[in-house]
This record gives sequence, C-alpha cells and structure tokens, in this order.
Amino acid sequence: MFNVSNAGMDEPAYTVVSDSETTGEEKSTSAFPEIAIGIDIGTSQCSIAIWNGSQVELLKNTRNQKMMRSYVTFKDEVPSGGVSNQLSHEHEILSGASIFNMKRLIGRVDTDPVVHASKSLPFLVQTLDIGARPFIAALVNNVWRSTTPEEVLAIFLVELRAMAEMQLKRPIRNVVLTIPVSFSRFQLTRIERACAMAGLHVLRLMPEPTAVALLYAQQQQLTVHENMGSGSEKIALIFNMGAGYCDVALSATAGGVSQIKALAGSAIGGEDLLQNMMRHLLPDFESRSSNHGMNEIKSMGFLRVATQDAIHKLSTQTAVQIDVNLGNGSKVSKLVNREEFEEVNQKIFEKCKNLIIQCLHDAKVEIDDITDVILVGGCSYIPKLRKLVMGICKKEELYNVINPLEAAVCGAALEGAVASGISDPFGNLDLLTIQVTPLGIGIRADGNNFVPIIPRNTTMPARKDLVFTTVRDNQIEALITVYEGEGEKVEENHLLGYFKITGIPPAPKGVPEINVCMDIDASNVLRVLAGVILPGCPHPAIPVMEIRLPTVDDGHGWCAEALRKTYGSTLDLESVQKKI
Amino acid sequence: MNMSASMVTSYHVSVPQFNPNKGGQRWKEKRSGSVRCCNTRAGELRARKEKNYYELLGVSVDANVQEIKQSYRNLQKKHHPDIAGHQGHEYTLKLNEAYRVLMREDLRKDYDASFGRTRVHLGRNASGLGYSSWKGPLRPEALFVDENACIGCRECVQHASNTFVMDEAVGCARVKVQYGDSDQNIEVSVDSCPVNCIHWVDREELAVLEFLIQPQPVKGYGQSTVEEETPAQAEARANASMEINMGRFSGIWKLFEQVFRSNMWNSE
Repeated sequence: MFNVSNAGMDEPAYTVVSDSETTGEEKSTSAFPEIAIGIDIGTSQCSIAIWNGSQVELLKNTRNQKMMRSYVTFKDEVPSGGVSNQLSHEHEILSGASIFNMKRLIGRVDTDPVVHASKSLPFLVQTLDIGARPFIAALVNNVWRSTTPEEVLAIFLVELRAMAEMQLKRPIRNVVLTIPVSFSRFQLTRIERACAMAGLHVLRLMPEPTAVALLYAQQQQLTVHENMGSGSEKIALIFNMGAGYCDVALSATAGGVSQIKALAGSAIGGEDLLQNMMRHLLPDFESRSSNHGMNEIKSMGFLRVATQDAIHKLSTQTAVQIDVNLGNGSKVSKLVNREEFEEVNQKIFEKCKNLIIQCLHDAKVEIDDITDVILVGGCSYIPKLRKLVMGICKKEELYNVINPLEAAVCGAALEGAVASGISDPFGNLDLLTIQVTPLGIGIRADGNNFVPIIPRNTTMPARKDLVFTTVRDNQIEALITVYEGEGEKVEENHLLGYFKITGIPPAPKGVPEINVCMDIDASNVLRVLAGVILPGCPHPAIPVMEIRLPTVDDGHGWCAEALRKTYGSTLDLESVQKKI
Repeated sequence: MNMSASMVTSYHVSVPQFNPNKGGQRWKEKRSGSVRCCNTRAGELRARKEKNYYELLGVSVDANVQEIKQSYRNLQKKHHPDIAGHQGHEYTLKLNEAYRVLMREDLRKDYDASFGRTRVHLGRNASGLGYSSWKGPLRPEALFVDENACIGCRECVQHASNTFVMDEAVGCARVKVQYGDSDQNIEVSVDSCPVNCIHWVDREELAVLEFLIQPQPVKGYGQSTVEEETPAQAEARANASMEINMGRFSGIWKLFEQVFRSNMWNSE
C-alpha cells in the first residue's frame, strides 16, 4: 500500500507491501482519498468499474472484454480464472476442472436446496445433509481436489485486482461489491472473507438493485440539470435477474437521493431456467448429471451448452431446433418453441411475480405512482419476463437508457466514489443511497418463535430495542439466539449467532427486564446489546453485553441443533411488549 | 482476519457514542416512570430536552408531507454516514425515526398528541396550516396574537375557546378561528391579556402576519449565512422568502389575492 507517513524512513517513500496486512489508519494518513472500485460479481459474469474523475468507466481485460466469465479452472499448478484465462471453447469450463456459480454456493450449508440444485454441475458438490459445509471439488488430472467457494472467489478477485491495478497504475484496496438482496448476513461475511483473502477491503456491500437505483438517481439528477426541471420525486421499480438471483427494489428518487423503500429477493435465476430446460429435454438428466463419471460430465456439458444457446435464441426467435449428441448412441433432438420454455419454467416466473408484488406491498406504493420500470440482469432479455414486469406495473415500455448488464457495476462505482468522500465539481457525485434492511433480524423467544427486533425494510442506519423477560422463577441465565429472515419459526431463518446472559438476579418469572437492542450502521455492521434491569433498580443489574454479529462460522446449521439439544427451553425468553 | 482491521479501528472511534452506559441511562429513565410500559418515546424525548421531531427535521409543526420529505433528504445528504462518516450515525438514526413517525399520519397524530399539540386543519386548505380560518362572513378586521410577546397565560383561551388555541409546542396562544365566539367573549378575552399581545389587524395584513409568526423551516441547516443583518435586510429577506413561499399557501392567498397583491407590492 502507499503509505505517505513512511516518507521519513529509510525505505523508499512509497512502498508496495503485501496486501495481506492492513490497518485502518493507512486510509486516513493518505493525502488523497483512494477511490473505491465497484465490482459486480455475477453468478455467471463479472465486471469492474471506477469513477475516473468525471464519469464511471468500466475496466477491460487484456482481451478487451468488459464482462468476464466468473469461473476458476484448477487445471495446472496455478489456478486461472475468467479474467485472464482465454477460453477456447465453452466446454472447457464444463470439464469438471472449473468451479463456477460460486455465488450460488457461498455461505450455504448442505441442507440448502440451492446447494442441492448445484449437484448437477460438472464439478463435485457433495452433501451430507447435516447442516454443515458442502464438499466442493474440482477434477484435476483425474483427482477430485477439494476447494471452497470463498477460495474460488478469492482467486477470481485476485485476478480482477491485478487487472485493475495494472490499468490504474495504483494499488487497489477498497471495493464496493454488489450482492443479491436475499443474501444472509452470514453469506456477507463469506464474501468479506473472500475479499480479505484477495487483499481487498470491503467498503460497502450493496444489494444489486440499489446500485441500479443509485445510477438511476444520477441520471435523473443530470436530466434535471439539463432541463432546469423541478426535480420532482420519481418512483422506480427495479427488477434484476441474473443467472443466480432475482432481486426487486422500489426506490423514491429526488435531488440525487435514492431512497430505497423496499427490497425483495430470492435465489432464483437463469441457472434454474437452464436446469429446468435440461430436465425437460432429458428426463434422466438428474441421475446422469449426479453420477460425475467422465463420460457423463462430458455429455452433460454438451447438453448444457446447447440448452443455454437455445434459451438465448428464444429471446429473439419463437422456436429453436436443439440437436445434441450425448455419446454412446444417445442424443437429444427437439424443436423447442417459446411457449414450451415458458411452460417449463412457469413456477420460476410465478415466483418473480410474487417478489414484485411483495416489494410493491412493502413499499406501500401504488402501481400508478411508478415513474419508471427498470429491468436489468442477464435474464432481462427474456420476453416473458419483460411482459410480466410491464404487466404488473401497467407500463407500455421499460426505462431504456440503462445498460442491463452494466447498470449494477456502474452504481457500485458511484457508491464507491461517494463513500470514499470524492466530490465532483459538476455535482455528478452529489448522490446518496438510503438503504433498508432486506431481511428482518430478531431473536428466538416465546417458545420456538422468531421475534423480529428490526423488521424487514427498516431504513438504515437503524436501532431498535425490545424488552424480554424470563420464563422461570429464579432463572439466572438466558440464551439469546439471533436470527435473520422472515419465517415465523426460528428454523426457517438464518442463525447469526448466540450468547448467554448470566448473573440475572434471582426473581420470580416475568420480573427481570431483558432489553435487547440492535444497531445497524450505514456500512451494515450489526451489533446487539443486551442488558438486565430489575424493577426499582436504577442501574443495569449486570454489565451490558455488546456483541458484533454474525458470530457463527461454518456448520451453523449444526449449532442451532446442538443448542436445542443441550439447553432445550431452560434458558428461554418471552417478549414483553412490542413497539410499533 | 485482516480485513476487519480497519473496521475495528473505526469501531473504536464510535464507542463513545455507543457505549453501554448510555443504554443504562435510558433504562434508568424508563424505570423512573411510575407506571410500567406507559412511557412514550415522545415523553422520553421531552424529558431529556431533546429536539422534537419537527425541530430535528427543521420543518414547521404544520409542514406537509412534501416539505418533510424534502427536508429529510437535504439533511440526509449532509449527515448520512456515507457522507459525514461514522459521526453521522447517531444523528441519522434520529432523523430516520423522526421521518418514520412524521410520514405516517397515524403515528404523527399520536406524536402530536403526546405534546398536547393539535394541527389545525382548514379543510381543503390543509397545506396552508397555521393560518386561522373564518367563522361566518369575512370582516374588515381580524384577530392576531403576537406570539413573540405572548406569555402563554391561557386567559384568552379560557374566555374564547373557540377562537383561541394554545400551541403547546411553543407555549403560545394563537388564533384558530376568526370570530369563533361571540363578539362579547372575544372582547373580554382581548382585554384579559396581561401583556396586550392580541391585536385587531386589517384583514389584508393577516396572512402576512400569520405567515411571519410561524416557526419557519430552517434554511441552510447550520450554515450561518447571515450573521448580522440590518432591519432593512431582514425585511427584504422576509419578503423574498415570502415570495418563494407564496405557492405554499395559495389556498389562503386566493382569498386576498385581488385586494392584497396590488396593495402590498405597491407599497414596497
């Protein structure tokens, strides 16, 4: 890193040291603020952009590509990713030696349906269904060599970083990454871990549609400047669907401030459309793809490429002929029309529809008040989706001055500049995103219920508290288990962490007040405070506990089970009052 | 984990604002309430002599939704942690809470009630709040309370409760309805004022006076642009801001438009 304060020492004034060791002070000693770069790690494609002083610029790799395939191949001694590697053919990444779709796997346990759906991929995804990490391996010289999604992502990020450093001729440290709305906080820590492994410091993790909303806010700001218009409030619905995730956001924009009203998201995407289609074309797809023999991997690779290609063509054509030779005399030969594709994926489209409706409902916005409908992501070219979104929003056309594949990364680059404290003399960075929490956060109480303390779609930064009490006479300990999600029962939510409050003064049940306060700052750091009060006592009975979450590491599916077995309901809590 | 190093640093900086003692203090105050669970946030705020939500957002107590939104966004642009850094955290939390309450009609009503304040709705002219309405036909003279002089003795409200109302937020009386009570009662209440702050004014002047006496949205949010101004400058500024704000109370304005506009601008 550049470190100006080193200037007086024997070493050269500017040294580039290994990126693995970093401290927070370096940032403040630097005379010029470093502009954070924006990275969009897509399930299938990835891009990187930066504010170049006057506008957002997408960086290109040595092969002049702005969009790079997200994968890492473990063929030789040194793994190589989609940034540097030259693909001679698509099949190369389907040989089992490459890991891709890591965004669908990161931070998920082996009971997760999304992990199970990944078992048909050419590389190895093994599950034991016990709530632990899945086993992931790449086929290197006929050996399944294990790796992790974090490692794969880190290797990829290192390549991205090297590419950006070469072009910008400066070290890259701070990044703004876009993430799916439905990511749990635990998954966010995995992304942060991968970034740390790659020597990057995460300045912000930004839900993808909110990055698009920020870009939209900037565009609106520019139009206002040009037209000297009133700059009235504009409501935008942003629908983003890529290969792995589907996100919806509703934003109210005025004067460069993009205020997110509501978010909704789910792990559905192009990958599901593709798999449904492959299943449709080849009824024994499941058994053949989970086998992972050399021949099966190869033939499933052919099927995958052909199906992918057909889906792309169906965006412009109404029918497409698929011919794949799967080897051993078996082949798929079929004319598929668009209706068939839509029929096969009806459930996915239904889910998309529900997400939009839920988002509109949460935002309390009437359809007639929507100014613009923005469709982004790889799936935005699918006619059915376009029709569906326009139908719900009662719009004849979509907002079209935005590149569907580059919008998220451009927004991330803008946020990177804003959060780095960069200002622009022309007011192009006079921007702000006011984020909301995509998922509710609460604790286990009232039996096995999830009691949210910070509800979904609360404006950030946020702080809320709720009072709980003991369920037994002379209960001196209480277990606080923190979950994130929307389910009524704790099992339906993501476990974030747990801690015990000890030393509660003995008292009849229901008397001690246990105040649990949650605080989320603008960089989305969650802290939980818990204190105990006894009636008539002005001070907390015991020192207040402050915990930064998530604290769970691997195998968190296990933890909840272990806690339940060990403690049962002995350390339970009950909610006392609910604030509005 | 190296990545967290810088976060940890910034986190330590934030500790003074976020220490457990503060939590304890708040709990202490909660406990001091005689009845459990009845402490409202608003009461808590007032007890701590904190800014109320209107002051926090820099809007008048009668501000409409658009004004609140506008002001919220302006303040966010200045104080949001993305812009102001970590020290903006606490302030933004309060802003968010104030905004949440004031933007929801039901919550705002409850909040207002906790202050004993009622927003005076003038039917269709609700956007021009803070102005008195008329009972019966318009008369050449109107009542006006000089809130700067008012000591909040409530005499006038007691004698003519349909005409005068207490604004508990500012501790002053103001006219709610012109001629809301019988002439005799009004006469008594005007005379009862110990500081003679209730005036009979020309009907044409009323809108201007009522506008100027209102708590004004704070412009410039802390950037003190004007340190000392001459009375002439102050008057010019008031006129200018009034011109800008004319659109806001168009409802009232229409009433006086014909007579008033020519009078006022000619006299300048």
